[in-house]
Amino acid sequence: MDQSVIKINQAGKKFSKSLKQSMLYGISDILSGVTGCISDSTQLRKGEFWAVDDLSCELKSGKTLGIIGSNGSGKSTVLKMLNGIFMPDKGQINITGRVGALIEVGAGFHPLLSGRENVYINGAILGMTKKELDKKFDDIVNFADIGDFIDAPVKHYSSGMFVRLGFSVAIHCQPDILLVDEVLAVGDLAFAIKCHRKMSEFRQNGGTVVLVSHNMQAIRNICNQVLWLERGRKKLFGDVFAVCDAYENETIKASKNFIEEGQKQLNYDANTQIKSVEFVNNHGDVNSEYSLGNDLNMRIYYDFKRSVSHPIFTVTIYSPEGLLMTSSHSHTDGHVFKELSGEGFIEYTIKNINFRPAKYVCAVTVSEEEVANILDWHEKKYHFVLTGNIVNEGLVNPFPVWKHI
Amino acid sequence: MASNTTNKSTVSYTPNIHLKLGIKIWVQMLRELVASRELIIRFFIRDFSAKYRQSIFGYFWALILPFIAIGTFIFLNRSGILNIGSTDAPYPIFALIGLSVWQLFSSGVVAGTNSLVAAGSMIGKINFPRESLVFASLAQAVFEFLIKVVLILIFFVIFKYVPHWTIIFLPIAVIPILFFTLGLSLILSLVNGIARDTANVVSLGVNFLLFLTPVLYPQEGRYIWFFKLNPLTALVNAPRDLALYGSIQQPTDFLIATILSITLFLFAWRLFHLVETKIPERI
Repeated sequence: MDQSVIKINQAGKKFSKSLKQSMLYGISDILSGVTGCISDSTQLRKGEFWAVDDLSCELKSGKTLGIIGSNGSGKSTVLKMLNGIFMPDKGQINITGRVGALIEVGAGFHPLLSGRENVYINGAILGMTKKELDKKFDDIVNFADIGDFIDAPVKHYSSGMFVRLGFSVAIHCQPDILLVDEVLAVGDLAFAIKCHRKMSEFRQNGGTVVLVSHNMQAIRNICNQVLWLERGRKKLFGDVFAVCDAYENETIKASKNFIEEGQKQLNYDANTQIKSVEFVNNHGDVNSEYSLGNDLNMRIYYDFKRSVSHPIFTVTIYSPEGLLMTSSHSHTDGHVFKELSGEGFIEYTIKNINFRPAKYVCAVTVSEEEVANILDWHEKKYHFVLTGNIVNEGLVNPFPVWKHI
Repeated sequence: MASNTTNKSTVSYTPNIHLKLGIKIWVQMLRELVASRELIIRFFIRDFSAKYRQSIFGYFWALILPFIAIGTFIFLNRSGILNIGSTDAPYPIFALIGLSVWQLFSSGVVAGTNSLVAAGSMIGKINFPRESLVFASLAQAVFEFLIKVVLILIFFVIFKYVPHWTIIFLPIAVIPILFFTLGLSLILSLVNGIARDTANVVSLGVNFLLFLTPVLYPQEGRYIWFFKLNPLTALVNAPRDLALYGSIQQPTDFLIATILSITLFLFAWRLFHLVETKIPERI
């Protein structure tokens, strides 16, 4: 059981940026094929780049490998190389056993033909014989939950039915190694659960899985090992938790572009301004990086050239996806300021902050007498980072306690 | 499931994976072809049942083009605009047999050239033997040929013409043109994968070739040498000669064309095998 079923040895794949150039290279590849002298594919020609480069890793039988990385980092290319669709331009890939791919389910379906006909065609494409298909046909249809529609042309299927049937055919071809590319995100919840159960059944029977996903929770739940790709190269390869933590902490810090979005500053009274906002850590140093469970301290420096009666400060915190984490006003939180003038700062503290580790963005406003009477509004201008291990799903980690009573 | 990993075969993907010489590669190619026979049949059934599914005339479409082409030539001949020359058998029978054999080539090569690109989305996503697409596209042309054979038999009855007994060799005599078509299709499908112009050139080209090949008219006149340069002449004439006259009129031409066809096929098959790994990324 501890034999390597997947062995990638310094593999690389190059692509051409321009379509025209790609055509030329294609023709020259064919011509050199005719003459029998194939050019050295390990050299880059003009306009080419390595989509995957110098990649080495090994996976043992029965293990699950997750491949993560930002868009364009070469995840899908690696998956297609494992599937034998793309040949490496250098290096070597060894695969032991039958490979099944859920790269794009239903890719071979013909819209005019019935579900039944398509099951047989798709099954044959995936390498099943007619005998195998006859035997498994009922299982396939039952799993896909298609019902009477099996004899209707697939162009009349809902997109969910289409994907369900495609997934069902692919999973029933009994591979030793299953390559999965994000497909589990499709279909309704009931089917997603069914897919996950089927996959876990597959893994428990000793099947090897390679999963490409942006869903870190799925990666953490399913995988033993994770390969983190960055611009086609191996950034990190190893145990799932170590790699996932490193990846998430880096993406949190790098998610700058999002923060800039929606940022604006509106001042309604030049005499009353929020000068700046600072984040202070537990030791009193200015630092906008916190660990899960620290106290968040935000200092709002005001500069009032006139006296402001009953000022109200509002702090709003958004998650990286733009979800409202919390928004509250100083007076409803129980702090009524009678009158403020000149320069000074207000401190806003969240004790033991337990949001999910991510990069958060804040809005700060100051109003007079009532919330709607805004004097100065800094929307999504300030951000802080919360680091830590993501161990649960959802927006907050309330550190739950489990007991057997 | 995967508990007996030791028995599983290991595949190894390397650059220029198919660049090997000798008899071994041919054995491997043959084995791959045999292994994908079921897939070829599936693809054929798929194309076949999908082609006429949403149409009123269905399979009769396979017969409509020959009727129009032959009808046009009969009209041009009778009206005196075009002098086709004389044929020993009734002209409609002569033309129908010729055209049926010809369309093995013409529809085969048109469908074959398109076969890879038409399945483009699949090729980029699933790993399967791609030559099965090309072989299946020829199967479609073969099936339409069989429909036309039935029509030919009906023509014999209508025109009260008794074919020579050697007509039973017709299926064997069309084998060379099948090799020729497959060979061209294998190469052109690859080229079409890289430059889409190929499909347009091919569909235009076969239409012109029909007029430059003695299919709808007998091989005679001042430029016989020109016809002799065209291997399709012998490949179309030989099956027709066997059906109508009992012997092949130009056996040497047919032999040369046959050898050429088989050589072309073997070369193309090997080339396809060699280059197909570079195709998915360009389709």
